[in-house]
Amino acid sequence: MLERILTDDFRGKLKLTFRDIENQQDRSDEKEFAKDEVRIREELLDTVTPHASDDTLDEDYLIAAVDGSGSGDLMTLDDVRVHLLSTSTVVLDTNTRAGDPFRPLDRATLENAFGRAQPFLDCHWHSGVRGDARTKMADSLAEIYPLKDSDALVLPFFRDIMKRQLKSMSDLSGTNYGAYTSSLGTMESLITREQMLTNPAVHDELRTASEYAAARIVLTSSIQPKYLLLDGAMSIFMHQARQYPSMPSGFMLRELCSLAREKHVVLCAVSKNHTIPFAHRIARMAQEAFGEGSKWFCLLPGSEDPGGGLYIYQDRTYIPPRLAVPYLFSFSMDNRPSRIDFDRIWWLENVFVQDDPSKTRENEKALFQEIEFMSRDARWYGYPVALALAHEECKLSYEDLRLAREVAGDVRHELGLDPRRTTPYREDFNL
Amino acid sequence: MTLDIRNLGELYGKVSVGDQTSLGIMGNNRDVSVGEIFMIYSHRDGHERVFFFRVLALQNYLRQVDDMARVAGTLMVEGDAYLSGIQRNMLLQVGGKMLGYAELEKGKWVFRSPRRLPDHLADVYRPVPNVSDEAVRKMLASQTDGEVFIGNLQVGEATLDVPVKIPSKYLPMHMGIFGSTGSGKSNLMMVLIKSILDSNLEASRNPNEKRPRISAFCIDPHDEFAKGVTACGIQDIVEAMDQETRASVIGDFYYLTTHLKATPREIQRYGREIRILWEEILPHDLYTIMDFTPQMVSFIDGQYAANRESWISAITDMKDDPEGTPKGTLNAVQRRLRFIERSPIFIRSGSSILSDVFVAMETGRVLVVNTSLMSDTEQFLLTTVIARTVSDLRRAAKSSGTLGDFESQGAIRLPGPFFNRIKARAKSFYSAGGQSDESGVRDPRDMPVILVTVEEAPSILNPELMRGQSVFKDLSRQGRKFNIGLIVVSQQVSVLDNVILSQMNTEVNLRLGNEREIQACIENASVNISGFEDEFRVMARGEAIVTASYRELPLPVRIPLFDTLFERDKSRYKASKATRASEKHTF
Repeated sequence: MLERILTDDFRGKLKLTFRDIENQQDRSDEKEFAKDEVRIREELLDTVTPHASDDTLDEDYLIAAVDGSGSGDLMTLDDVRVHLLSTSTVVLDTNTRAGDPFRPLDRATLENAFGRAQPFLDCHWHSGVRGDARTKMADSLAEIYPLKDSDALVLPFFRDIMKRQLKSMSDLSGTNYGAYTSSLGTMESLITREQMLTNPAVHDELRTASEYAAARIVLTSSIQPKYLLLDGAMSIFMHQARQYPSMPSGFMLRELCSLAREKHVVLCAVSKNHTIPFAHRIARMAQEAFGEGSKWFCLLPGSEDPGGGLYIYQDRTYIPPRLAVPYLFSFSMDNRPSRIDFDRIWWLENVFVQDDPSKTRENEKALFQEIEFMSRDARWYGYPVALALAHEECKLSYEDLRLAREVAGDVRHELGLDPRRTTPYREDFNL
Repeated sequence: MTLDIRNLGELYGKVSVGDQTSLGIMGNNRDVSVGEIFMIYSHRDGHERVFFFRVLALQNYLRQVDDMARVAGTLMVEGDAYLSGIQRNMLLQVGGKMLGYAELEKGKWVFRSPRRLPDHLADVYRPVPNVSDEAVRKMLASQTDGEVFIGNLQVGEATLDVPVKIPSKYLPMHMGIFGSTGSGKSNLMMVLIKSILDSNLEASRNPNEKRPRISAFCIDPHDEFAKGVTACGIQDIVEAMDQETRASVIGDFYYLTTHLKATPREIQRYGREIRILWEEILPHDLYTIMDFTPQMVSFIDGQYAANRESWISAITDMKDDPEGTPKGTLNAVQRRLRFIERSPIFIRSGSSILSDVFVAMETGRVLVVNTSLMSDTEQFLLTTVIARTVSDLRRAAKSSGTLGDFESQGAIRLPGPFFNRIKARAKSFYSAGGQSDESGVRDPRDMPVILVTVEEAPSILNPELMRGQSVFKDLSRQGRKFNIGLIVVSQQVSVLDNVILSQMNTEVNLRLGNEREIQACIENASVNISGFEDEFRVMARGEAIVTASYRELPLPVRIPLFDTLFERDKSRYKASKATRASEKHTF
C-alpha cells in the first residue's frame, strides 16, 4: 500500500477532496462564522482567572469522575457476542489545606463506599436474532442500571423538557407525550431504534449505560463530591416523531442530572473530541484577545438563550444537545480546545441569571476557575485530572483484551462447554 | 514453610521480567543504590528458595506516564502544574544480575549458581541491618564462612552483620588484592593480619579443634602496619595481649626492619633487623627479580657450580672475565649484583635472620616487614629468598618419606650452611613423630599455612620475568601442595602475568583506577562478575568485591577500619582466668 500512498495520484485525490470541502462547506461556514465573530468575542468568550498554585481553598471538596471502556467482541459464539465493559470511578480531594493537591481517595475507601470493585469489570451477551436483540439488550440495560423503577427512570426527562412537576406517568396524559405513555413502561419499550441495533450501536448503549450506572452509584453513595465528571457529551438521541430519547441511555442521563441536582452535585461531561465547528478559530480569537497562553472559555448558546444560538451550528441540531449547555474551553496553549457540557436545568438554576449578563459571567468565571484548577496535572495539563485518571484505570489495552479472551476460553473449558477459539476470526487467517 | 520471610527485611517490590541471569524488578520509590543486594522469595513447585539479586541499574518509572520528558517539561513550563496522587505511582525499575539462590537441603542451607528463575511476580525483599543479618548469615554460610575475616557483607550502602571470611584451606591457593592508591589496601592488610592473629589465637586457645595455624610474611612498604595508619596498629594488639598469649601467638618478635634503632622503642622490643647472608641467596632468586641475558645466566650458573654458596663473593671479587666468558659479561653481572654489595640487609658475613624467619613461618606466626627504607630490588630479593627458602624446605619435606630423606633432599635444594643451621629445627617441625632418620615426615598440608605477600607485584610478576626461572611461577603452580600461598598486592591487574592470575583463587577487588583495570579485574575474577563495571566505578574506599573459585557468589564486602575492629576486640587478647584454666586442663 505504501507505494500507492506515496504517489502523486494519491496526493491529487487528497487535493480534490480538500478543495471540495473548502468550496462546499468551509466557505458557507465561513460566512456564518463572520456573523458570529463579534458576538463571540464580545459576549461569549472570556478568560479564566486561575487560582494561584499555592492557593488554599476556604473549603476543600471532592471531585468524582467516571469513565468506561469495553469491547463488543470479547467472544463471538456464532451470532452471539459477549460484551466486556469496564468502568472506573476516581475521586480526588482538592486537599489544598494539606498542601498535597488533588489527592486521590484510596481504592479501599471507594470500594467500600460504592460496594463494588474499582475498576469494575462486567460482561453481557447479546444476540443478533431479530426480536431477541431488543429483549436481550433491555435485559442487559435493566441489569446494568441500578434504578429499576421505569417510571422513576423516564419521568425526569419529561419534567425537565416540559419544565413541569410530574408526579407520575398519568401526569403526562393530555400532553404531547400522553399518547406514548404505554410505550414508556418497560426498558424494552424504551428502545425505539430497534432497526438500528447494529453490534457497535448495542455496545455503545451498554457502555454508556454502564458509565451512567457508575455515576449513579457515586451520587447515591456516602461520597458527596462537589463535581461529578463524565467522559463525552450530554447528547441525547431523540425519536424524531415522539420527541423523547430513542434509547434508554437518554432517560438515564436525565435521571442522573435530576439526582445530581437533588444532591447538589455539579454534573458535567467533558469531551476532547468535540464537533464544534470553527473551534480552532475561536481559539485563535481567544489568543488574539487575551494573549498567548491565556486560559479561556466560550459559551455556545442555544436558541432559548439571550441572543439565540450561533449561526455556525444552526444547521447542526445536536449542538447544543437537548437540555444541555456546552462551553468550549482551553487551559493550555499546547492543546486544542475541549468541550464541557452542563445540565441545562442546573445551569439555569446556578449559573444563569436572568437579565443580568455580568452576574451570569461572574458565575461562569467562578465555575471555570474551579474546572481549570482541577486540570493542572502535568501529565494531562489542561484536562480534568480526575477524568484522566479514570480513563487510565478503565482502559482495556490490546494485551488486556487478549488475556480476557484467554480467561474466557479457560472458563468455557472449566464449564465443560463446547471449546471455541477465543481469538478474533481475522487471526485465523493471520490478518 | 521453613523460613520466616519477615526476617528477610523490608518487602520492596515484585519480580517483573528477566531470565536466570538478569532480572527486572518493579519496586517502591526508595533510595536504592547500585550494588544493593535484594532477596527474592520464591516458592515455585513446592521448592522454597531465596534468590539473591544484585542491583546494577536503576530507572525512575512513573505509572501512567509514557513520556517522562513531556511531564517534566510541563512541570517546568506550567509553573502551576501538579501531579495528582503521583506518590503511589512513583516506582523504581531495578535491573540487575542474579547471583544465585539458597535453599535448604537436608536441614542445611546450600547456595547454588543461578540456574533457576524465581516464581512469577515473586516478592522482593530489601535487607535491613539488624533485621536480616541472621537470616542472611544462615543462608550464605557456605559463601561466607572461614577462618580469616576480611569484612562484612555490604548490601549497597548499608552493611549487614554478616562476616565474610576466607577458609584457611584455600589460602594456599593464592589471593590477589587489587586496588588503586587510596582504595584501602593498607587497612585491608592490617585487617587481614589481625584476622590471622585472631585465628591463631583461637587455634592456640582451642588446640583440640585442629584449627590450622597461619603464618604470614607481610611486606609493609610504608611502615604503617605496626604503628597503624591512624590510631592503632598491630603493636597495639601485641601490647593488649597478656604474656602467655603473646608468647604463643607473637613469639619473640613480629617486626622486621632494616634499621632497628630507628624504630620506636615499644616496637623495638618485638623487632629484629633484616639481614640475609649472601650465601643464603641462590642464582634462581636473582633470575626471579631481574632480567639476565643467556650469557649472564650461563656465567652465574658456572660460578655457582664452582663456588656454591660463595658464588656472589666470587663474582664480586673477580677482576677479569674468566676464560671462555664473552667479554663484558662479568661487568654486566657485577653491575646487577652491585645493589647486593651496597645493601645493608644482604651481608657477606654476620648473623642472618633467615633461620628465625623460617622458624616463625613454621610455627604459625605473623611477621610485619618494614621495607620502607629498602629499594624495590632489595624488597623483591628479600621476598623471593624467603618464599623460595620456605618452599624449598616444604618441597624437601614433601618429597621425603623419612627425616633421613629430608636431610638429603634439603642438602640438595638449599644453601649448605643455612640448611646445616636449621636442619635440626626443620626436622622437629616436619617429623610425624620421633627424631631419628627413620621417622616419618608430616604432610605439608598438616603444617601451618604460610602466606607470603608480594607487594608492587607487577615489578616481579610481569610476563617478562615470569617467562624465565621465577620462584613465583613454581610457587603459584605448586604452592598448594606445600601449603604455601601468595598474597599478591597490586594496583594493576592488567600487567600481571597470566600464570599468576590463573592460579589465583581468591580475589579481593577494591576500587580500581581506570576502565582498563576494571575490565582486567572482571575478566580475571574467579566467578563471573561481568556487568559489575558500574559498581567498580562507584566503589568507595574500603569497599570490595570478593570473588573466589570455591564460591558461587561474588561477595560485596565493606572492610571495617582496623581501629574499629581493634577497639571492639581488644579485650579478647587477654586470656581470662577461665581460658587459662581450660588451656591448662587441655594441656
